[in-house]
Amino acid sequence: MGLLDYVAATSIDEDYAHVSELRGSSGSGDRPPRPRVAALVVLAVFGVLVATAAVQTSRNAEESASSRESLVEQVRSRRAALDRRQETIAELRRDIAVRRASELTGTAQGRDLQARLSRLGVETGSTATRGPGIRVVVDDAPGTTDPRQKVQAPDLQKLVNGLWQVGAEAIAINGQRLTAVSPIRDAGSAVTVNFRSLRRPYTVSAIGSPKTMGARLLDTKGGQTWVTLQSIGLQFEIDTEEAMLLPAAKPVSLRSAREREGRR
Amino acid sequence: MIAAIGLLLGVLLGLLLQPTVPAWLDPYLPIAVVAALDAVFGALRAFLDGIFDDKVFVVSFVSNVLIAALIVYLGDKLGVGGQLSTGVIVVLGIRIFSNVAAIRRHIFHA
Repeated sequence: MGLLDYVAATSIDEDYAHVSELRGSSGSGDRPPRPRVAALVVLAVFGVLVATAAVQTSRNAEESASSRESLVEQVRSRRAALDRRQETIAELRRDIAVRRASELTGTAQGRDLQARLSRLGVETGSTATRGPGIRVVVDDAPGTTDPRQKVQAPDLQKLVNGLWQVGAEAIAINGQRLTAVSPIRDAGSAVTVNFRSLRRPYTVSAIGSPKTMGARLLDTKGGQTWVTLQSIGLQFEIDTEEAMLLPAAKPVSLRSAREREGRR
Repeated sequence: MIAAIGLLLGVLLGLLLQPTVPAWLDPYLPIAVVAALDAVFGALRAFLDGIFDDKVFVVSFVSNVLIAALIVYLGDKLGVGGQLSTGVIVVLGIRIFSNVAAIRRHIFHA
């Protein structure tokens, strides 16, 4: 017999039949069986059970709804507080920059320091930088599925190294400013820079001499690599720009840093 | 008659007192209610069949509730509480349905 059939067939407690058989055979089964006090008590217990379960369920529903609401409320208020604090941070940063500038321009030593600060800011990527330079746009071969015809992190690394080599002062890839510790990596099908994944095409902006950088780039190892890549279908274009604005990199926590000997 | 009075009394008592269920008992209450429902429908069918017995009803009610709660408790401890409660609900549900069908046949003769 199937399990479900069995369950359906024995749905009434077998003891009822058993006990009534006993009663019938012992001869005292003339009186019809009536529910008495015990049944009343059990049914009362059943009633309490049902009522309690219903009350409990509705109470729990109320509680969970109210706790969800209070959580949402908390999220909202915390988010607002966070926004306010971030605004305060930005304000204070601006304030610091203004005060520092006004303080430093007062003395000759201060002006010296100011110059050094802005030069270091450009080199380390900690300040936004404006200037002329070149823009290199690279992209996969059109409509390809072959990974060899796609731009990969090592290709970008070689290009960037080539640009540093020919005197770039500041470089950004798709708006991600490169610092001394910026990683350029493959992550799945995308290239990540500063742990942000980028979309094709990749625009590498480098501030430096627009007249010489482009031509000299092709003589570097990185430039040579890209000439080869171009010959197998990848796109590679160099344009000069009169003025570009590269954003500041996110502040990095420095573990150890030393200023380069001798100035450029 | 006495059964209806008992039931009414119990529901009123539960609604008036609104006893708070301790947190550790909370997950077992619904399954206990379903098990009790099965015992009650079984008793009603037995009554209509003319084989009702007080003692059997009491025993089946108590044991049904306890065993159902115990199975779920055991399941919780073993990490299969959800599945076991589903199993218990399915079996008890089938029993309730077939008992109600038998009761319906008694009342409507159909």
